[in-house]
Amino acid sequence: MTALDFALPAALEAHVPPEPRDAVRLLVSRRAADQITHHPFAAIPSLLRPGDLLVVNNSGTLPAAVGRIHFSSPRPDGSWLVEPRHHQNDAGVTSRTISMPGGAVLTMERQVSPRLWEARLSTAVVPYLLSYGKPIRYSYVTQEWDLAAYQTVFAQIPGSAEMPSASRPFTPAIVTELAARGVLIAPVTLHTGVSSLEVDEDPYPEPFDVPPAAARLVNHVRAAGGRVIAAGTTVVRALETAGTTGTVIPAAGWTSHVVTPETGVRVVDGLLTGLHEPRSSHLRMLAAFAGSALLSRCYEEAIRSGYLWHEFGDVHLLLPLRPR
Amino acid sequence: MKALVTGASRGLGQALAAGLAREGYNLIVDARDARALAGAGLDMASMIPGDVTDPAHRAALAAAATKEGLDLLVNNAGTLGAHPLPSLADYPADDLRATFEVNVIAPIALTQLLLPTLRKRGGAVLNITSDAAVEPYAGWGGYGAAKAALEQASNVLAAEELTIRVWWVDPGDLRTDMHQQAFPGEDISDRPLPAAIVPAFIRLITERLPSGRYRAADLL
Repeated sequence: MTALDFALPAALEAHVPPEPRDAVRLLVSRRAADQITHHPFAAIPSLLRPGDLLVVNNSGTLPAAVGRIHFSSPRPDGSWLVEPRHHQNDAGVTSRTISMPGGAVLTMERQVSPRLWEARLSTAVVPYLLSYGKPIRYSYVTQEWDLAAYQTVFAQIPGSAEMPSASRPFTPAIVTELAARGVLIAPVTLHTGVSSLEVDEDPYPEPFDVPPAAARLVNHVRAAGGRVIAAGTTVVRALETAGTTGTVIPAAGWTSHVVTPETGVRVVDGLLTGLHEPRSSHLRMLAAFAGSALLSRCYEEAIRSGYLWHEFGDVHLLLPLRPR
Repeated sequence: MKALVTGASRGLGQALAAGLAREGYNLIVDARDARALAGAGLDMASMIPGDVTDPAHRAALAAAATKEGLDLLVNNAGTLGAHPLPSLADYPADDLRATFEVNVIAPIALTQLLLPTLRKRGGAVLNITSDAAVEPYAGWGGYGAAKAALEQASNVLAAEELTIRVWWVDPGDLRTDMHQQAFPGEDISDRPLPAAIVPAFIRLITERLPSGRYRAADLL
């Protein structure tokens, strides 16, 4: 087994939303101490320090599935990347135009990958999804859940095809406890696309927004010796896009930045994230934080200890090498 | 950073454009009166005189703005409509139509042209509205109805567009030519000059506050 390639036992797939939200486990890896510990998620306020900054993604989850069409990401020209889901034996996309519920028409313009098409809907996509869509659900989640099950407490701006799930375990009580202990919280926005990429495929460009207030806070906290902890790989992507010089500059638009051990991380110290699938590009980002040796041990321990994977599963806090 | 400000020869548009220039924005500005625009003290700005209701002029603005990419569109150009302000009972339909052309159709049409470039850079649309859009002031039926339409168009645009900011801002009463037209012969010197509220707009823009309706006074 390596950090990037391992067999995920089916028994470790989370099938249902945990209730309450914070009833998940938290694996903590400390690179400086080369150490792994296990905690209930609710202990997270005591694992962060006063003056640390938790950066969260305030993108809300869209009900992005309409029938077999999954709406992934908008593009600047107003078209969307969509994924037509089909069974193994059907013909796939056979027509350029697809009639959608409510009289809308989806025009498939160009196939951009084995799974994804550039397409144009005859009406504004976000309001349409809010009326006609359901949350995207993969086979390991065996029943439908309301959109509310797919929203984090930080969701403000609907726009993600799938939940930015690292911050799903946060409850208002935990956020209050963090604030009361002096941990700072700042929002950025990154609307995440569908996760069902091919193995080894990099994520597509996604719209992001690092507003001036968040940029200032990140720079201030780092200058003051605090740690910047990203709640989710989406937050790392947004902050590292805006922080290529080592200082975060307010920025918005589309990002194609992919964080790997080679690019490293410049403005984010730690990462709270879910458990990722074998060979996903996210694992390369995690290796940038933990190093591949410690990351391998984390995943061995997570599997051995029965941690749960996917959006309703357990989470992992990767703390940095650099002692502060 | 690049901004396009319509109606920049005088009043709020001129003050906003000057404020954005001080913030380091590269500007494209327009106004119907080329001489007034040239004399507006916006020497560094790229000036494209014309009428926002003219599709060819809008296309020229869009071509200039799209060349290097745009971060901010300020739909400021507006008309009071018929004045002295008639009651709706007597409002000439042609004047009403013209009011909607300038205050509603033109900003929407210009926004349409600029959305692709604004989306690319996570840009913003700032529409200038008025408390007359929500309050039933006698005589303000034409202007107020048009501004109400612009507000709702802004509201819908914000719901449809994921990746840009859409702000619609009531600047409050200001000492401008337009305000004087609404109160002919009255002393309006108690109203603030437009420059006084520019910091509110600069704060909204530079902090990239969330999409929505704002009153300039609340941002000062």
